[in-house]
Amino acid sequence: MQLLKWGATAALALGLFQLSAPAQAAGGKTLEAVKARGVLNCPGHDGSYLGFAEVDDKGNWKGMDIDLCRAVATAVLGDPSKVKIVPISWAQRWPSLQSGDIDIIIKASGGTLSRDTELGLQFSNSYYLGTTKVMAHKELNLSSLKDADGGSICIPAGTSQEQQVAAYAQKLGIKLQPVVIEKTEELEQAYFSKRCDLYTQWGPVLAIARVAKGKVEDHVILPDVLAVEPEVMIVRQGDDNWVDVANWTLTALLFAEQEGITSKNVDEIRAKPTSPQVAKFLGATPGVGKGLGLSDDWAYNVIKKVGNYSEIFDNDLGKNSPYKMDRELTNLWNNGGVLFPLVID
Amino acid sequence: MTDLAPPAPGMLEDLRRRFFASPLQALVSLLSLGLIALVGWKLLNWALLSAVFDPSQGAEACHRAAGACWSVIAARWRIILFGLYPYEEQWRSALACVAVVAMTVLSCIPAFWTGRRIAAIWLAGTTVFYVLMKGGVLGLSYVGEESWGGLALTLFIFVATCLIGFPLSIVLALLRRSELPWISRTTGLIIDAVRSLPLISILFTFAIVLPFALPHWLQGDKLYRVIVGSALFFAAYQAEIVRGGMQGVAHGQGEAAMALGLSYWQRVSRILLPQAMRNALPATINQFVISFKETSLVVIVGFFEIIASGNAAYGTGEWRFAYAEVYTFIAFIYFVFVFSLSRYGAFLERRMSVGER
Repeated sequence: MQLLKWGATAALALGLFQLSAPAQAAGGKTLEAVKARGVLNCPGHDGSYLGFAEVDDKGNWKGMDIDLCRAVATAVLGDPSKVKIVPISWAQRWPSLQSGDIDIIIKASGGTLSRDTELGLQFSNSYYLGTTKVMAHKELNLSSLKDADGGSICIPAGTSQEQQVAAYAQKLGIKLQPVVIEKTEELEQAYFSKRCDLYTQWGPVLAIARVAKGKVEDHVILPDVLAVEPEVMIVRQGDDNWVDVANWTLTALLFAEQEGITSKNVDEIRAKPTSPQVAKFLGATPGVGKGLGLSDDWAYNVIKKVGNYSEIFDNDLGKNSPYKMDRELTNLWNNGGVLFPLVID
Repeated sequence: MTDLAPPAPGMLEDLRRRFFASPLQALVSLLSLGLIALVGWKLLNWALLSAVFDPSQGAEACHRAAGACWSVIAARWRIILFGLYPYEEQWRSALACVAVVAMTVLSCIPAFWTGRRIAAIWLAGTTVFYVLMKGGVLGLSYVGEESWGGLALTLFIFVATCLIGFPLSIVLALLRRSELPWISRTTGLIIDAVRSLPLISILFTFAIVLPFALPHWLQGDKLYRVIVGSALFFAAYQAEIVRGGMQGVAHGQGEAAMALGLSYWQRVSRILLPQAMRNALPATINQFVISFKETSLVVIVGFFEIIASGNAAYGTGEWRFAYAEVYTFIAFIYFVFVFSLSRYGAFLERRMSVGER
């Protein structure tokens, strides 16, 4: 009886939650709301997620996800400073989006079936290809994971990496000794103190760990890719115009990189466009903004004030950042990657 | 009259009797001493002797050194103390912290224990804090609650929780002792319901689920919803402590007061509460200490209190390895506050001679 009562209460509470969530989303003409408010609300992190959302010495947010948020804000409002970064935890991102605390989730989050269908979300194209990789001590002389038969491997607890490692090892026909640890700091401590021969993680975290330890040359990241997770921008289901804005902002960043347009040369190219598409893209001829509900110089503003995709990547993760990461799969299609802009016509 | 107690043993004799009375005892003592010395030496070596203090050499020097890297604190202390508060305005956050600490210290001094003085101190303190932090008046630029962080936010949440929660707890305790069964039962139900939920779920509900249910004008900022939630939690626990104190007051006291013709409020405020609070004091101090430490849970709903600021402080490519130093620093800050709180509690107990009757 007692149990029944609690069950009924819980069901009622859940029902309220479920009922009100779609109501919020359907009413959400997010683009109009953001324009009226004059500021875009984006997620930060409760602490720091290296390379994607971290805090500099003066307390300003920086990182890949933050810069993408600034790009979206610039597309809509013409000014990268018109963002409010709301520090939220991983668990909080979905309810925060549904309750309207934030307008868009750009938080190293992958597009998955259950998030799409059960949580009532909608995804942009992928802006980053997260790969699961393995790092090894240099002195073991491994050239790929196949050589590591019988070795021990540090794995973050409660993540999909556990299954990925097991599946991949089975495919290679090798045996690995798992050492499963919850907290990232402890996990890295275990690897760097040689409790494990190998260390598997989501690619960027791995590369960053190698750099942060200060001894890059002592560790190799093996070429094996255990799994791929495409990171996407996430909005509420049913707000088609808003997901369009996210997608076309991403296209603007990639198209500019493809055409060699950077924040430095964008003014010259706008004055002397190299092709009709570029002319339209930069607003030298009209038409790029109207259908989206944006101004015709929105893409020009994004490139001028935030930079193109490679400029953002280099500053936050690549060669101008402490992490010195390679683009790998997160590169344009003509540079051996899988990213591509949609067609501007 | 002559002193009949045996002469006090010398220090050496005392040591011998206490720690080296038998060979086994001597062995255990020596082993423990060795262990303590070893750990102490390692700690000292890590924290001071091999540590890096000079921030000008950056993280590089720390990678070479064997000890602690205190330069992370030198480089990032403003993140830890003030979180995301705008850099140029952080002096306001610092002053606000001073105001809260001053307010608390003043209200701990017995000379200020009259209703009017306490009220004046708290009103002045909270006003100063709020105006300094939020700005928007007196030429101070506006800083929204979402940018508050670090120690200032931790203190604010703690003080606000106690300020709302403590009076509420007394009200709840009185209601629970009401002679009307439907009042006492309802209050009891509320208290027990709140007490049987984990604080995290209460915070999560108030911060994130309530906006779905409440009309817009009632929502307020997330920070205030969280404070209300945490105050409710505090009050539910504290109410039971106060009730325990009240039940320790002899029945005859209330009956005597009634016989003298004192009104309900006079009986409560002059007879019941003073004695009840004296009984409840040790547990009350305990509750304050616990809720100070529990402020760190608001990190779960995305507030940049001191632990989250600490995470952000070591969360850059440069300082990634220095988490132990940052956590040690935060632990030290907690220690300073909580230790002063419990020493003050001990002072109060002596003053009210809680131990005796």
